[in-house]
Amino acid sequence: MKEKKFKLNIRNKEYVVEIKPEGTDSVKIKVGGEEFNFKQKGGEKGQGLSLAGTSLPKKNFGEKEIRAPISGTVSEIFVAEGESIEKDRKVILLSAMKMENEIVSDSKGKIKKIKVEKEQNVKEGTVLIIME
Amino acid sequence: MKIEKYKKVSSTNILAKGKKHKPWLVVWAEEQTAGHGRKKDFWFSPKGGLYFSVILPKSTVEDIQTLTILAAFVVAKVIKENFDLEPLIKLPNDVYINRKKVAGILTEAVIGSEVKFSIMGIGLNTNIGKFPAELENTATSLKIEIGRKVDNRDIINQIVKELKHQLKIISE
Repeated sequence: MKEKKFKLNIRNKEYVVEIKPEGTDSVKIKVGGEEFNFKQKGGEKGQGLSLAGTSLPKKNFGEKEIRAPISGTVSEIFVAEGESIEKDRKVILLSAMKMENEIVSDSKGKIKKIKVEKEQNVKEGTVLIIME
Repeated sequence: MKIEKYKKVSSTNILAKGKKHKPWLVVWAEEQTAGHGRKKDFWFSPKGGLYFSVILPKSTVEDIQTLTILAAFVVAKVIKENFDLEPLIKLPNDVYINRKKVAGILTEAVIGSEVKFSIMGIGLNTNIGKFPAELENTATSLKIEIGRKVDNRDIINQIVKELKHQLKIISE
């Protein structure tokens, strides 16, 4: 198997997909910078590929996560699940030390899930909101 | 240094947030009607005190957080060097003299995939002669501590100059 690279267009967003063989029985697939490793079932050829380890996240590429840029406390939530919002809409107020951070949406879309509650302490990188 | 001075505003942070991104622009008010700290804590802001907000240049969220903490040291340093007082810093960023609060700092940022806008608001009790009874035991001013008026503009200049210096060191 040779290394392959191609582009996929999903919901008007372009993803670069790279497929690269690793040794004789596994393959690495890179999508939009994320890597997934697959291994041949039972190590025998011709039986199809299975996921190596448990690294494949169940990720819907049409979804977008808004994460906490900094550790802090969720002081206010300005949106509701199911609400459609525009780009730059203020979604959450995150208080950290003596900083008040207005987290704004980077794109327009619909609020699918709010993963945090008011007064909840969150660490940097925590998913606050899932958009679709 | 560009300073926009106003007689009376709701809060210099609110006013500065409505401005276009002009790094290091200082919004200064003689009086605030809705001066606030974190979680909308009221900040007593009568005429005589020093209330200003600085629009910060584009930086990372980590650098802004570090600068917020350093701002208390900057304010304390300016107080110590100019007025021979012994300010104490209560982390993250309140400044006390003789166990009474003299200054507070509140940074506000708008963050998307990066920091889009950030401002630092500083309230410093400079020429306030007397506090209302409910604050008398917890707040003080430079005028009360040294018994004379101080130059607000000169203090702004010194603080902002030092903040610029600190941010340069942090971001290098």
